[in-house]
Amino acid sequence: MWTRKAALMLSGGICLILVGMMISNFQMIIIGLTFIAFISINGWIQGHSELEITRFVPHSNVYKGDLIEVSLTITNKSYRRTQQLEVFDNVPHQMKIRRGINQMRMNLGPGQTTKIQYMLRCPLRGHYSIGPVSVRYRNAFDLFVSESRIDDVCDITVFPQVREIEDAMLRADVPKMYTGATTLRTPGPGMEFYSLREYLSTDSLRSINWKAFARTGDLMVNQKTRDAVTDVYILLDAREVSRIGTVLKNPLEMGTAAAASISSHFLKRKDSVSLVTYAERMDFLPADTGDKQYYKILSRLASVSPSGSMPLQAVTNALAPRIGRGSPVFIISSLEGDGTTLPAIRNLSGNGHEVIILSPSSIDLERLVSRIPRMSYEVLKLERQNRLTAVSGYGAKVIDWMPDIELSQALMQSGR
Amino acid sequence: MEFEKGEVLETLHIPTLRRKWQILVLQVVSTLSLLLLLKKMNEVYGTCSEQFIIDHNVDSWCPAYEHTRGLMWLSNRGDLLIPDLLLGVSNTGTMSLVGPLLMCVAAAFAMDRFWASSQEFQTRFNQGAIAIFIAWMVVPFVFSWVVSMVYNGLEWPTEHLGKLFSPFDLVFELVFLGIVFAPVLAGLVGIWGLSKRPITWAVGYFIVVIAFHSVLTFEPLVSEVDVGLRALPTQIGEGTMFGGLVSPLASSLLGIAVLMLVFLESGSAAINHLEYAASLPEDCKRDPEYVRQFNNVVNAHLLQMGIVITLVLITTALALAFDDLMISIVGILEGTQWTGQVKESLELQMTYG
Repeated sequence: MWTRKAALMLSGGICLILVGMMISNFQMIIIGLTFIAFISINGWIQGHSELEITRFVPHSNVYKGDLIEVSLTITNKSYRRTQQLEVFDNVPHQMKIRRGINQMRMNLGPGQTTKIQYMLRCPLRGHYSIGPVSVRYRNAFDLFVSESRIDDVCDITVFPQVREIEDAMLRADVPKMYTGATTLRTPGPGMEFYSLREYLSTDSLRSINWKAFARTGDLMVNQKTRDAVTDVYILLDAREVSRIGTVLKNPLEMGTAAAASISSHFLKRKDSVSLVTYAERMDFLPADTGDKQYYKILSRLASVSPSGSMPLQAVTNALAPRIGRGSPVFIISSLEGDGTTLPAIRNLSGNGHEVIILSPSSIDLERLVSRIPRMSYEVLKLERQNRLTAVSGYGAKVIDWMPDIELSQALMQSGR
Repeated sequence: MEFEKGEVLETLHIPTLRRKWQILVLQVVSTLSLLLLLKKMNEVYGTCSEQFIIDHNVDSWCPAYEHTRGLMWLSNRGDLLIPDLLLGVSNTGTMSLVGPLLMCVAAAFAMDRFWASSQEFQTRFNQGAIAIFIAWMVVPFVFSWVVSMVYNGLEWPTEHLGKLFSPFDLVFELVFLGIVFAPVLAGLVGIWGLSKRPITWAVGYFIVVIAFHSVLTFEPLVSEVDVGLRALPTQIGEGTMFGGLVSPLASSLLGIAVLMLVFLESGSAAINHLEYAASLPEDCKRDPEYVRQFNNVVNAHLLQMGIVITLVLITTALALAFDDLMISIVGILEGTQWTGQVKESLELQMTYG
């Protein structure tokens, strides 16, 4: 591709030649010829970009706010110089470069290698891709440019931040929930022997009972008794209204961090955790325990984005047959713009569930981005307070979570 | 990239790069080509026509690209404020350019310092310069008027108005100098002050000077209005230089074109490389890998510039001698009636256009 400079030089050269010929002026003709000769000769010099580019990223899953060090190795595989190349690694705009830079101007000799190293910060959760690599050949005199892309893409998942909440949760006054692991007489992940059953392809080889295999001739596996207090259900509000606030501080961001932290806490205690997100539609992850479940929950939370306006009652109605009786239910929602909140919570409480509502204060979050008149703020705050009081009237524990309060501190409110 | 702090011998910081030999070579080449360009332009476009000199005298002014005639014409109307040594009026030929060039160098340095200074200093300097200029206009005028009234009684200051405009003599001198040396000043500011715009402006100015000269010496126009400029020959002449490739006139004109290109490209190249280095974050400026690649790019640029400019020179010379080349080729094929006719036709075309 021609640059503006080349186009100007060519048109200027042609004009000078034509005008020079019209008025019989050799100087103008010679300057015009020189310009055109300059462009023509430069047109023969071609950059060679037979490059081998490899990217190394140590971790593909990181937590929000973590740093990633990206290393890009570029090797000239041809027998000629590359001439002036600009290599640019495409980085999602949500990520911020903290050290180094994602580009380099280079001129590699045959077989020569160079390395670009930079450090990225991931301030927003989500699924991102680093790459492809853009390679731009630029003529030394800035006359011609040609761009190409090398499709080397690296996927990165940024999980929400996980906070330590143990101390806060231990102060809760719901003994059943927090008494630690007790043995249930159902098969599942645990330590004690429950029974033998036939081997399935999904079972690990470690669980095979070789003695039983020798005795029966069939592959048999040991089933363990499930260690769990109960199933914990986390309902995360991801409706459009959860967008209120800044990109980094809004009900959804606070909610994902809370959901991840609560899940982490209960999964560490060998409990089963189920995650339900509701936005345009409901997304249900059945209760399970272990690291795999933890990874699934974090992955779900990483991909949640605000959309839709599904009412809470529709979610609780759909979940009712799946939630075990007495299981604690965490609802993480600003409780804005949903008229079904009260009946939904009434139904849950009525079915014997321990309902804990963690409600990021959307009014205070909105104040971060727009100026709300004092009177309006007071009125809105009062309305919200009334709503929370009404919800707590149905037996739910309500935590009014202010933007500047840490999650652990906010959860302590439930223990008081 | 070495994130650990270690001993780094070479970095890409601007003060370090300004002392780097490759960058200095580019800047020096650009400066030399600018000075040579001025000299060539002065030689080719700095003379008045013989008819003009016969009709007037040697000191008469014509709008040639030469400053001493204008200043001498100005000095005939009154004393010059800038010393002759600096104006180059007392010298001839290349030596007449030395004084003004020294002024240009000093002015370029002063402008660079001025732009590097704080905004507050710049404002104060501008205000001070305006105040001095106004004082220079008003004080001598008021003083001479008052003194005159002390001796002659009350009077209108009509006889002293000339004093009011005396500072403009300096402005006129600077204008006459500026016509010739403005592109040199702009070029020097651009090369050493690292700004591409003055470099492009200087090249544009030279082309405009050439265009004006061409128009003012255009035969149909000269017959109507003759400003006394010496026109370039309409025939390029017989090739006697570089193995008969170019004529002396073509060599001069080609020299101007190529010097213009060298000045533009080397000046811009130094700025481009420094701009890139300046855009890098601190870690990368210390990173040996970035330094190595920067050296690779600059070295390749220097090499390419040498080769490309040489090829441009040869190509343009060949293009100019295309007719001669054609005749030579046809001459080799002589013997047939057709080649004889073609050769005759080409020679006629070359002679009479």
